[in-house]
Amino acid sequence: MIQPHLKEAISRVMETMFFLPVQFAEGPRTLGQWLPCDATVLEAFIDFRAHRSGRGFLLVPAPCVREMAANFLGLPQAEVSEEQAQDTLKEAVNMMMGQMLSLLDRGGGYALGIPRFGGPADLSKFQEGQSPVAVLAFETGNTHLAAGVIES
Amino acid sequence: MAFNVLIVDDSSTMRAVVKKAIRVSGFDVGEYREAADGQEALETLRRHWVDVVLTDIHMPRLNGLELVAKMREDELLNSIPVIMVSTEGSEKKVQESIRLGASGYIQKPFHPEQIRRTLSQVMGEAQEGQKNDSAAPEGSDF
Repeated sequence: MIQPHLKEAISRVMETMFFLPVQFAEGPRTLGQWLPCDATVLEAFIDFRAHRSGRGFLLVPAPCVREMAANFLGLPQAEVSEEQAQDTLKEAVNMMMGQMLSLLDRGGGYALGIPRFGGPADLSKFQEGQSPVAVLAFETGNTHLAAGVIES
Repeated sequence: MAFNVLIVDDSSTMRAVVKKAIRVSGFDVGEYREAADGQEALETLRRHWVDVVLTDIHMPRLNGLELVAKMREDELLNSIPVIMVSTEGSEKKVQESIRLGASGYIQKPFHPEQIRRTLSQVMGEAQEGQKNDSAAPEGSDF
């Protein structure tokens, strides 16, 4: 139920605000297999209350965060500050989950929390079986990213 | 005709993005002003002339919906159009914004063209309202 709406939300946000069309990975894989191991992967998350409550998360390698921020702001990558990079990641997860929820419930029976920057991601907490998880692995032309929802 | 715009959002990055989107859209802006929340926006509005406000909803101190409600209660500010810019796009939120006095609503993510279209529509309606208010009544001495 969540996955198709999350997929649409990710596509819309990445293309419209960050000018980065994405393709979604096919087939099962772990985040450890999908995300690059030669770069720090950064996390942003946002809690929400809806028909069911949960937390949306976005995992992006640090160089891609910088690229997203540069595109978002219309700046050269070298001019993007650490604060702008973190803000960009927070806004990205905010918009993705906001879009997903508005596609799931057009009546508006949901509430979004405040997006948070989580720093370097601990991928072990996203392993399947630990809590209900919907995860989407996707890529831009340059790198692999992931986003999903943990239901509480 | 160039308009003075106030952008209200607690994220300086998001304020810069909205500003960039307005510039890219080609909408004619004279001066940009910024505020980090509704309270700061009210203080700015009382010191500087602004033609239109674009505001996020979720902010500390005074959120976007509280801001538009306060502006509608203020006789100096109540004619200034307010456009909500938010990740929330539910019918419920849009209707609540209109009920409180918002003139437009843009859901994130947005294309610059959406910004231009909404601004043009809102400012066109605002100018029409000003013309009707200033028209001399029949039988007057003007």
